[in-house]
Amino acid sequence: MTAALIIGAIVAAACVAVVALPFLREPKAADDVLDAPGEREQRRLAGAEERDRALAALKELEFDHRTGKVSDDDYRAQVGALRRRVADAVRALDPPERTEPKVPARG
Amino acid sequence: MPRNGSPARLVVALSVAAVLAIFLLYTSIAGGTPSLRPSTIAGHTGQVSLAGRVVGHPTGDAHGAGLRFTLRDVKGRATVPVLYRGTVPDLFKSGRDIVVDGRLRSGTFVAVPGSLITKCPSKYAPKHSSN
Amino acid sequence: MPDLGRAALVTAFGLLLYATVVGALAAWKRRRRLAASAQNALIAALVASAVASAVLLTALARHDFSFQYVADHTSRELPLRYALTAFWGGQEGSLLLWLLVLCGYGAAAVLTTRRVSRDLLAWTVPVLGFVGSFFAFMLVFVSSPFVTQRAPADGAGLTPSLQNPYMAIHPPMLYLGYVGLTIPFAFGMGALLSRRTDERWIVATRRWTLAAWTFLGVGQLLGAHWAYVEIGWGGYYAWDPVENAALMPWLAATAFLHSVMIQEKRGMLRVWNMVLVALAFCLSIFGTFLTRSGVIQSIHSFAQSPLGGWFLGFICVVTAGTTVLIVARLPLLRARTKLESLVSREATFLYNNLLLVALCLTILWGVVYPLLSELVRGQTSTVSKPYYNFFLHSFGLPLLLLMGIGPLVAWRRASLRTLGRTFLWPLVAAIVAGAALLAAGAGSSRIGVIAYTFCIFVLSSIALEFVRGTRARKALGDESWPHAFSSLVARNRRRYGGYVVHASVVFLAIGIAGSSAYQTVREQRLGVGQSMTVAGRQLVFRGFEQRRTPNHRAIRAVVDVYDGGAHRIARMYPGKNQYFAEQEVSNEVAIRHDLLDGSDLFLIADQVNSDGSIDLKALEKPLVNLIWLAGFVFVGGSLIALWPDAREERRLAERYAGAMARA
Repeated sequence: MTAALIIGAIVAAACVAVVALPFLREPKAADDVLDAPGEREQRRLAGAEERDRALAALKELEFDHRTGKVSDDDYRAQVGALRRRVADAVRALDPPERTEPKVPARG
Repeated sequence: MPRNGSPARLVVALSVAAVLAIFLLYTSIAGGTPSLRPSTIAGHTGQVSLAGRVVGHPTGDAHGAGLRFTLRDVKGRATVPVLYRGTVPDLFKSGRDIVVDGRLRSGTFVAVPGSLITKCPSKYAPKHSSN
Repeated sequence: MPDLGRAALVTAFGLLLYATVVGALAAWKRRRRLAASAQNALIAALVASAVASAVLLTALARHDFSFQYVADHTSRELPLRYALTAFWGGQEGSLLLWLLVLCGYGAAAVLTTRRVSRDLLAWTVPVLGFVGSFFAFMLVFVSSPFVTQRAPADGAGLTPSLQNPYMAIHPPMLYLGYVGLTIPFAFGMGALLSRRTDERWIVATRRWTLAAWTFLGVGQLLGAHWAYVEIGWGGYYAWDPVENAALMPWLAATAFLHSVMIQEKRGMLRVWNMVLVALAFCLSIFGTFLTRSGVIQSIHSFAQSPLGGWFLGFICVVTAGTTVLIVARLPLLRARTKLESLVSREATFLYNNLLLVALCLTILWGVVYPLLSELVRGQTSTVSKPYYNFFLHSFGLPLLLLMGIGPLVAWRRASLRTLGRTFLWPLVAAIVAGAALLAAGAGSSRIGVIAYTFCIFVLSSIALEFVRGTRARKALGDESWPHAFSSLVARNRRRYGGYVVHASVVFLAIGIAGSSAYQTVREQRLGVGQSMTVAGRQLVFRGFEQRRTPNHRAIRAVVDVYDGGAHRIARMYPGKNQYFAEQEVSNEVAIRHDLLDGSDLFLIADQVNSDGSIDLKALEKPLVNLIWLAGFVFVGGSLIALWPDAREERRLAERYAGAMARA
């Protein structure tokens, strides 16, 4: 019975401590603001996702072509537009984002 | 080639409509099997599902001439005699709640062979449901 | 001791409530430390739930019958392992398991995401806290496992059919699945609440969803296997509401897993994905509700319990809240691209989703039909196997076919000529197989032949995918065939893991088709020395044997199996066990697996007669073991798809690096 009481007290104290931890660690926080992606950041994220999507689509087109799911004609018809889409997406991002992974040559 | 309106929406709408149509058609024609109790079965002539509690002592041989037992409303007094042939689940005994399909013939509920199901003495019953 | 358990539950409730309220406040007001505090509350709730669970486990291990729960579900004779697994054998313990698993998942989600996506987590925490608070509330105020009583001499014991290793592990597996679906739901709602329009929440929860879905699938297979070997009526699925309760969220989750791929690749179906994840979550709660409340008459639950009302209320609140939230954020969710062609991989994913959701909804309709018919016509009606089989065939067979078609179709749009070329070999294989099957007499079941033919089509297209991919990879470099194969799979884990999972579904379909459409059933009363024939095998009854153990008496019929000659191929012992404490009889079937063709000879001692004869029921179930094999292949495929990919991790980390640096 007393063992239960002791365990209970320890657990309760630990829980309170854990919950209060952020405030105990930084009693006076200089910056307490929870940052959320603003308008600009959301656009950058959308741009990055679009770039990755376009790159992935290009890579898949190459792979599908090599495995025969896409005919030579279809490939020629689509690859130009896709490459342009990748270029547009990369350009649309701010300059720092252009150093993204290279377009992989292998699938 | 890209179309003006999205064909996806059309496909979705048509599919949903088709599925709904199949639903209604099937369930209205097939109708489902009425679930009845001994107190409500009087007068039903078609195949129904009868649920109730086994009372008294079952007699006979389910794999021979037939197992005969009496089924009573779980919460009530009405009873109906049942004649059953086929596999009898292990949990079957007097005092258990069961469900069986069949039809009422001259006062006796003649069961569809093998349709007897006993309800598990529930693991999820509220407290104090002693076996 | 019970006091410690009760205190731990109250603590957990308090912490989860804190996480909900304070978490929402912190997210709304953008307070970083407050948000961190709410996250910690979730982690602390795990500790509190663990303490409560430990109390219950200790009481079960010690046969402490002063705990009403322990007395209701165990007895002194019960082996320790079943005493411990009785933890989840009853209503209150199941709720505690739910809470424990939820807190576990929540804590893990917090710990793995807090560094990379603090603002997304900010709104996810209150959602998780809300769900957890509900279960903690139920445990504290409505259905506590720590009710005490004057200890009786012995407990009521565990229903014998539940004393089985499969039944022991089936609930935790299912719960890891059910509860796991809360994570993508919480993140999805979190993304909506925080007005984010990017795919972060999908990327963050992809592995969780896949893992939960796998657990749910495995849990169902374990349950089916238990029903097969333990309940032993010869089948493995009875369309019982409790079984359907697990199938429905699994189908919705399957649809979700596919449609998020479309969202990731093409930015489409964003509203649909929110709806789907909410549907999967609501169905998993609904499933819990069905099993606990007794509102639907089923062989598993018949007692009315106060729990039902609470669960229904919770489902209504969640459904209403989710709907409002999705409608409010509709402008943010508008798709950026449109479907270009009805013959494209996107389109096949769309059809796949429609079929899966249609199947899910028809099952839901069948499950609630008794309630609806009572409300509308005043008469309770039920639908049973014919209804479910009709829709399983109508939607399942096209789904099967789509599994073979989808991978072969290109994105955006596919020309019919290319399709013709890629489909050629699988089609040929399917037609040849179909003709061979018909010649071999499989035409006795039309559905069976169709199912088998579709299966061969899908398997051929999967095999062809692996071959073509390996060949393409080999053409690029100097790798050997095995090396090309392994690097192909390693670089495209999701795709090829997915193909392996598709293969497992095909095995499942073959096993189901074989064991239901082509099974042979014979019943006969046999005296000693008499025999019966089933599917070319002679079964000779030799008499009964009896054995006694501390908790039961075993009666076994000795049956010799001959294969047309004088040489005996097996001796089988179907029979029954009579349990003293529980006053129950359990069916002990005898199953013989044929290793060559995967079929089972299934013997049931239907009735032991006083004159020394036996009513024996024998089933020959072709290919049934493929179903269990499918389970292993399923897990293997999921593991391949789940396996961390360093390259992909780097790319994703870099994509979200901007947000990470600031938060």
